[in-house]
Amino acid sequence: MSAGQSPIVSIFDVTKDYSLGKVVVPALRGVDLKVFPGEFISIAGPSGSGKTTLLNLIGCVDTATAGVVSVAGQDTKKLTEKELTNLRLHTIGFIFQSFNLVSVLSVFQNVEFPLLLQRKLNKAERKDRVMQLLEQVGLAQHEKHRPNELSGGQRQRVAVARALVTRPQLVLADEPTANLDSVTGQHIIDLMKELNQKEGTTFIFSTHDAKVMNHANAVVRLADGKILDRVTSAEAQRAMAAGAEGH
Amino acid sequence: MGQLRLLIQVAFRNLFASRINLLIGAIIFFGTLLVVVGGGLVDSVDTAMSRSIIGSIAGHLQVYSDHSKDELGLFGQMGGEPDLAAVDDFSVIKPLLEKHPNVKTVVPMGTSGAMVTSGNTVDLLLARLRELYRQRVDHGETPELREQLDSLKGHVRHIVTLLESDLANKDTLLSDGALEPADEEAIAKARSDAFWAGFEQDPFSALEFLENRIAPLLPDGTMLYLRYAGTDLESFQKSFDRMELVDGQPVPPGKRGMLLSKFFYEEFLKLKTARRLDLIKRERDINKKRIAEDPEMQRWVKENTQQLREFALQLDPLKTKLAIERLQNHLGTKEPNLEKLLASFFATTDDNFDARYATFYKDLAPLLELYRLRLGDSLTITAFTRTGYVQSVNVRIYGTYQFKGLEESQLAGGLNLMDLMTFRDLYGYLTPDRKAEIAEIQKKSGVTAVARENAEDALFGSSAAPLVADATPGLLNDKEGMDGMGHLRREDLAERVYNQQELEKGMVLSAAVILKDPSKLKETMAELQQSAKDANLPLRVVSWQQAAGIIGQFVMMAKMVLAIAVLIIFVVALVIINNAMMMATLQRVREIGTMRAIGAQRSLVLNMVLVETLVLGLVFGAAGALLGSGLIAMWGHAGIPAGNPTLYFFFSGPRLHPTLSLGILAAAFVIVLVVSALSTLYPAFLAARVSPLRAMQTDE
Repeated sequence: MSAGQSPIVSIFDVTKDYSLGKVVVPALRGVDLKVFPGEFISIAGPSGSGKTTLLNLIGCVDTATAGVVSVAGQDTKKLTEKELTNLRLHTIGFIFQSFNLVSVLSVFQNVEFPLLLQRKLNKAERKDRVMQLLEQVGLAQHEKHRPNELSGGQRQRVAVARALVTRPQLVLADEPTANLDSVTGQHIIDLMKELNQKEGTTFIFSTHDAKVMNHANAVVRLADGKILDRVTSAEAQRAMAAGAEGH
Repeated sequence: MGQLRLLIQVAFRNLFASRINLLIGAIIFFGTLLVVVGGGLVDSVDTAMSRSIIGSIAGHLQVYSDHSKDELGLFGQMGGEPDLAAVDDFSVIKPLLEKHPNVKTVVPMGTSGAMVTSGNTVDLLLARLRELYRQRVDHGETPELREQLDSLKGHVRHIVTLLESDLANKDTLLSDGALEPADEEAIAKARSDAFWAGFEQDPFSALEFLENRIAPLLPDGTMLYLRYAGTDLESFQKSFDRMELVDGQPVPPGKRGMLLSKFFYEEFLKLKTARRLDLIKRERDINKKRIAEDPEMQRWVKENTQQLREFALQLDPLKTKLAIERLQNHLGTKEPNLEKLLASFFATTDDNFDARYATFYKDLAPLLELYRLRLGDSLTITAFTRTGYVQSVNVRIYGTYQFKGLEESQLAGGLNLMDLMTFRDLYGYLTPDRKAEIAEIQKKSGVTAVARENAEDALFGSSAAPLVADATPGLLNDKEGMDGMGHLRREDLAERVYNQQELEKGMVLSAAVILKDPSKLKETMAELQQSAKDANLPLRVVSWQQAAGIIGQFVMMAKMVLAIAVLIIFVVALVIINNAMMMATLQRVREIGTMRAIGAQRSLVLNMVLVETLVLGLVFGAAGALLGSGLIAMWGHAGIPAGNPTLYFFFSGPRLHPTLSLGILAAAFVIVLVVSALSTLYPAFLAARVSPLRAMQTDE
């Protein structure tokens, strides 16, 4: 991306250790990463390689053991719990592997939820915004439905709408297609890509699915808590194919 | 605003989303129901009872001597009358109490108890015969008098016949021969034609023979315990609105006399057979019970078919004949034996009861003396005075009265009312009349008052002889003179009208104070206590609740039991709701984590859980309160039947019509909200600590 832009995510020499009783398990070991606005980045790697940990740090739901994590220009280590929550609310959108919708709220209310937390828009504005997003994800007809009345793909589209409704600079998605069949998963990724191109929103998503990776501008490959390399999706494909041959 | 709306919306939607919430809701529902219904009932009982107690005898406050050993208990206490010191002069304390601006009236009072004999049938008959013969002595014989005399004599003779057959039966039953030869001889004499033929020559001797030898052989007639309150009857009637005259007339102002409680009159002085019929009728009409199903009613019916002696004794030959005719008529049989007819007549069932009840009062009752004591008669009351000697006083019964709402209560409904003068006599207090009378007797009999410390000297010392020797001659043996004097005195006392000053200048045991503004009861009580202290009078001022003794404490106890029940229920509810909310929170960890991840602050999560329980509390609490108010309203309309005398007392009437106060509803809501908020604090705190990381966890 253009060198003149400042990165939206900047990670410098970050380590993250989990302690399981007396044993310290290192999840990330000296990771450096810069993500610029408008990027559509995939984080790839086998399970246990640290993908989720890295997303948690970027998403400000966890803090690094050492090193610096800056999101939207703010060093997350220097922020209080409350400020971190605000940062998440105003800057980041989340898409979860298991959709994580509030089961008792309707589709509309689920999408509206972050707007209510923000307290920026009035009722009419909220309604416009929510309906606009529901149309974008193709669920305007289902605004009154409850999550359990929708299919998996529909639910994840609601989750995408919820993640984007606050117009965040950055959307994080942890294995967004893992609980979906490949065709539906494809549609979700297409939707994300479309929004990325239309709105210029930065997306970072983790996946171990090669087809999903295809759509990314860049693939950050992780193994054993370290970044192997940052490559284009084509290169990543080739590497994966080679890896598969090597087996 | 939007946030709160969302939280409430989430709360409402979660209401039926989980079974745990339904459990919590059910607890809150029943808790509120209990508070509303229980509170409403106890409150209504409290109101009804306090109205009855204040309006019947207690007044708002009672004042009594501070030297008393026991506390005042107007309705008695366990083990008899409380030991109270007398207030020597009511006229001293009355103005002191009336000076207070909030005091409306002060009524003098004293309660005590004594034994009375109700007298047996023969006693009553003989007393009437004696009176008729006296009339003949005084005014000569008239045809009507002759007729009455013959009828009564015939009746007595009939009773002697019945008695003989009774005793003969007993004789065969008890092989050891229960009858003394002397008694047999006496009965034989009373049966003989010769005795009756000689009756007219010396009626008084013949009557004495019957009174002394025959009457004691009859088993009926009982000793009764009579509780009474001595008071200024006129002022009492004006001041206590729950009191109402039932039969007879009020005691004329200033006169000696007594009003029996309707309950006492019915329960103890009415012909038992009639009383039992009344009781059966009451159970059927008011409590809707059926003889076929109720063991107690069956017992009454059985007793009515078996205990016919009292009934048969009352009927002279002429009335017996009438009774047989009427019974044969009603039952449609030719059975000639009265007892058999009565037994089959009183074997009532649910089907024929009402008809027989009506027939009894229409056809049989006119032949009978339904009550052992007629209104207008005199009753002899024998009491132990404070100093321990036995005092008998004759007092005229003017009528019966009842306290509205306490009619059926043994404790309160059994209290009889008498004038203050008679009360003071029985108490052993020397009224000026008494003092004068004693002085007169002393003068007549030549008795000298001897101080205790000089008694030995007077009796056994050198000057002792005249004291004993001169004491009685010519007076105590002079029957006529003594009789005449005693009679005169009684007449005097019964007719004498006392003025207000005489009534008030004397001892009382307590004074009832009726207030203008009962809401200031506590302040007035303290102020009266203070003014008694200032005036150097050793008085205790107590509220009606304390004065009512055990009865006053019933309500307190009922309230305490309810309060404890509510407390236990809500402590249990607190624990259960707390645990249930913990479980509910654990079930929702990922949802809460998600909310935290997408930007919800901890405070929002905390509020969310709190709002949810409050909504639960309000919704289910409101449902409980609604059902509770509905039940109270339904009962308030239809009334809850008392069923038994204890409840009758609590309900202050045959039915309780409960009402619900706003206070109870408000209390129920406050309790519910406080309990739900308290029980959710910890789960809410835990929920707020849920990390947003939990959102990332997958189900696997």
